Amino acid sequence: MTLNFKSLTAMLTATTMLAGPVLAAGTHPETGEALSDNQTFTYRILDEHSSVDPGIAEDVSGAEVIRDLFEGLMNQDENGNLVPGVATGFTTNDEKNVYTFTLRPEAMWSNGTPVTAHDFVFAWRRAADPVTASPYAWYVELMSIENAAAVIAGEMATDTLGVTALDDHTLEVRLSTSLPYFPLMTTHTTTFPVPQAVVEEFGADWTKPENIVSNGAYVLTEHIPQERSVRERNANYWNNDATIIEKVVTLVINDDNTALTRWKAGELDRTEIPTGQYPSLNEEYPGEALAFPRLCNYYYTFNLSEGGPEAFQDVRVRQALSYAVDRSIVTDQVLQGGQVAAFTFTPGATANFTVPDVAFGQMTQAERNAAAVELMAEAGYGPDNPLAFELVYNTSEAHAQIATVLAQMWKQTLGVEVTQNNMEWQVFLEERGNQNFELARGAWCGDYNEASTFLDLLDSSSGYNDGKYNNPEVDALLAAAKTMADPSENYTRIEEILADQMPVIPVYHYSGNMMLNDEIRNWPVQNVEQNWYSRNLYRVDN
Amino acid sequence: MLITDKILGDKLEGAEVAGRSLWKDARRRYLRNKAAVFFTIVLILIALFTVFGPLIAVTDHETIDFSMIGRAAQSGQPSISNGHYFGYDDQGRDLYSRVIQGTWISLLVGVVGAAVAVVIGTLYGAIAGYFGGRVDSIMMRIVDILMAIPFMFVLILLLVTFERSIAMLFVGIGMLSWLGMARIVRGQTISIKNKEFIEAAQASGVGSFTIILRHIVPNLLGVVTVYATLLVPEMILTESFISFVGLGVQPPDTSLGQLINVGAGNLHYGTIWQFLFPLGFFVVLIFSLFFVGDGLRDALDPKDR
Amino acid sequence: MIKFILRRIAVAIPTLFILSVVTFFLMHAAPGGPFNSERPLPASVMANINAKYGLDQPLWQQLFTYLKGVVTAFDFGPSYKFKDRTVNDIIAQGFPVTLTYGFWSFIVATVCGISLGVAAAVRHNSFLDYFAVGISVGAQVLPNFVMAPLLLWLFTLTLGWLPGGGWDGGGFKNLVMPVIALSTSYMASIARLTRSSMLEVLNSNFIRTARAKGLSNTKIIFSHAIKPALLPVISYLGPAFVGMITGSVVIDTFFSTGGIGQAFVNSAFSRDYSVMMGITILVGALTITFNMVADILYAWIDPKVRL
Repeated sequence: MTLNFKSLTAMLTATTMLAGPVLAAGTHPETGEALSDNQTFTYRILDEHSSVDPGIAEDVSGAEVIRDLFEGLMNQDENGNLVPGVATGFTTNDEKNVYTFTLRPEAMWSNGTPVTAHDFVFAWRRAADPVTASPYAWYVELMSIENAAAVIAGEMATDTLGVTALDDHTLEVRLSTSLPYFPLMTTHTTTFPVPQAVVEEFGADWTKPENIVSNGAYVLTEHIPQERSVRERNANYWNNDATIIEKVVTLVINDDNTALTRWKAGELDRTEIPTGQYPSLNEEYPGEALAFPRLCNYYYTFNLSEGGPEAFQDVRVRQALSYAVDRSIVTDQVLQGGQVAAFTFTPGATANFTVPDVAFGQMTQAERNAAAVELMAEAGYGPDNPLAFELVYNTSEAHAQIATVLAQMWKQTLGVEVTQNNMEWQVFLEERGNQNFELARGAWCGDYNEASTFLDLLDSSSGYNDGKYNNPEVDALLAAAKTMADPSENYTRIEEILADQMPVIPVYHYSGNMMLNDEIRNWPVQNVEQNWYSRNLYRVDN
Repeated sequence: MLITDKILGDKLEGAEVAGRSLWKDARRRYLRNKAAVFFTIVLILIALFTVFGPLIAVTDHETIDFSMIGRAAQSGQPSISNGHYFGYDDQGRDLYSRVIQGTWISLLVGVVGAAVAVVIGTLYGAIAGYFGGRVDSIMMRIVDILMAIPFMFVLILLLVTFERSIAMLFVGIGMLSWLGMARIVRGQTISIKNKEFIEAAQASGVGSFTIILRHIVPNLLGVVTVYATLLVPEMILTESFISFVGLGVQPPDTSLGQLINVGAGNLHYGTIWQFLFPLGFFVVLIFSLFFVGDGLRDALDPKDR
Repeated sequence: MIKFILRRIAVAIPTLFILSVVTFFLMHAAPGGPFNSERPLPASVMANINAKYGLDQPLWQQLFTYLKGVVTAFDFGPSYKFKDRTVNDIIAQGFPVTLTYGFWSFIVATVCGISLGVAAAVRHNSFLDYFAVGISVGAQVLPNFVMAPLLLWLFTLTLGWLPGGGWDGGGFKNLVMPVIALSTSYMASIARLTRSSMLEVLNSNFIRTARAKGLSNTKIIFSHAIKPALLPVISYLGPAFVGMITGSVVIDTFFSTGGIGQAFVNSAFSRDYSVMMGITILVGALTITFNMVADILYAWIDPKVRL
């Protein structure tokens, strides 16, 4: 089963066109727009990225840099579809547990040596190796690669990992289970190749600008921690001719409002929008304030474990609390950035997932409030016996705003007394993870574009199931979904169960919000995972 | 942050302790200082405001007007007619009530923090000064060591380690600011302890701790009062810094530091009153405390006019 | 003098030792750890990480290993969060930044503060005096996290004169706003201190004698009055400089300068134990040094004080 790629031909056309008499600062090969002489893209990140080592990095801003510096087997296009990277394509067997990738021979490292299947083997073994101690080693296990768990646990040698270079340009991956979506997982930075010789020569210092060798469209040329990092075009990249942006600058700016000030002053091309400011910025800078759906949800989870409050064992209390949340106030007045009111756990933007019409989502807020009051009374709570509980969340202006608003909704509609406990991040994780809470904030961004990335959180055996929701029916539906050709029916059923049982209160589904200079074109707003590549962007003069 | 310690110490160490007429003298001198009197009145007004202000508020500091959430810039301006004298905050709450609450918390942090410092510092300093010798040099060496600790860093560490709460904030701020107090009190104690009335007490067999509590501490009240008044604004400034770092009081409660921080963040978003009202209160409060402190020092320290 | 310095150093060593032990245990008592995240790591991955960084050893042994590294090799350990950097790297990068804007703020605060204070005292009860008192009190009550956004609004957004942040190796344009924001409140304190002690000196007997001898006003101020008047100011300078180093949290947050203030706060929140320890010890050592320097200066100016 070899895949054909439309966009591959498009890229090749682009290459041939550029070979013509077009200057570097000429016109865009596809759209014909006049390009700016200044092909620099500058964007803001909130915090310094932890590492640009593909095997080790664990944060989003690190992954953004790594996707520019390195290239894995497969990439994503602007819609999130799979397109070839270092691999031109792959084949798989009927059980879908052995994948064979064909690597393009023209792929080069920035020092001019070819990228081979051995580099991938080295990188994957290194990521799983206990000696590397990568916090993302679990990703190798998540990919279900043969012997991954044993290698990570140090029980088997790294060379027993199910990945082999059949020759310089053929990579074979053996999985411990059938995994139809395995190729999707190779767009993740943990699977990117690393240059063995350089890593062995410099050790932990290999990612410093003076040492680093990479195979992506850019090379790291400058890095001042906590301040800026700069990457510039890699002339040895196999598709270098199609790259338009010459230089990408990342600036660390801790304060949202300062970042916006600097964006307004023209020092940045891209920054986040502070909470609630989207409408006014959109008015002031039409076309530059962007809002688009993201693959993330925001919810409150009840503690349903033994140590949790007794009141929450009563499904009527859980329903009442969920019904009494006026989600439109949160999305339209607090956040105001195109977020979607949530009545299901899985965001509607998820691929192959249709939001089911759960009953309470169909009511008006007045009806929901009335139902909530009734449910609360049935459960035995009222003015002379008010429900009281503690709500925990981690310190952040935005979380505090939502918690404050919801606490007041519960107080004003149901007479519930909520104590807010705003915890510092590490404390919050510890308390929530150990079920030392009553109601806790939660949020989850999909690891891949499929409903199970969200619903797995409510599997009774999941390590992320902080509320300890336990429903054998949900577990069974999830297990069955893993091997189904079209599991969407199961996902719909699970959402219906959740709407009825209400183990969590879904509040809203995220949107991506940013100010983007309108000289920067081709930002992949349709990519719900926001996997963007600087080489696909370009700059025009306005 | 304890900027005034050493200077004040230097000044006070030389001061002779006067007799009974000190307080009368001091009051006379204080009342002659127009700025100090004026700001004392302002301070009293602010304190009264935090007590009686809520009586004319439309809603308390946590009640939300849901229709006003996120609409502050459009229709949440301060208005006399609807009773929201200071306008709304971004979550549709009455800023007037919130400023009162914030002022109250800030004052509380200042006063309680200073009180903790005063109690620990006075006792510690008086004991060291009274016993002298080995005890004194060990106790003062400990103070020297503690003074080398980066105060703000340890406060952050404390709030991170122990679950943050307003009580922890009091303890943290108080515990770390008694050092200057201890030094000054020790110096004063040394100059008092050879006075006749102490010797008389010792001769009649009064125990050491009784002497410290009954005879030494009361004679230190002047110094202690001055120093405490100067500590209060510093405590308030410290709290505002802690709020800035994100370790301040729990919502829905607030402090002036938090309100100012939020207001400053929203500076460009058309809700300037969210910045100006809390800032105004903060500035006036700190101003008053400074002038009252200065006035007290001038009044109680006859050497310096 | 040398004996004094040696004695101070002898006290400094146990002080720093106690400081590091206390910080170490406080830190480890804090909930969470450097490798906690929204997704709890599988036990096997966590075990590998703990083994790599020695976090699986008993606490006292970790402390011993750490202190041994510091003492024998001046090695403050690896950062747990930034995998490609050591604490030495982080301090070597951030400390010069903080020191640079701290130094300039110190100079600005001292020079402007003393000038303002002397001027106000010499022209006591004049317009200049009231003006100086007014701005110094005003500047002292405006926290720097309020100053910073106001400066950004003025210089970056409205006037467009200065970049809204960044360090750029310490260029003049990148220094202006951090220095203003950091120095203002210290300048105000110094001005107030100078003014009151200058007034005291000017009213003292020996100045009256000098006046009686017919010396010119300028000569009296600069060769007789200023030296004793600066004594209280000098004891303030040590704490002030340390305050500026700690105050860099605010500067780094607003102006993206990348100093150690921000690094400290971030490390406290992300439980990057070694970075937190390293910076605390560094600032502790600085505090001791500056207090010592202030004492030496004090003795140099005031002959009554013997070291």
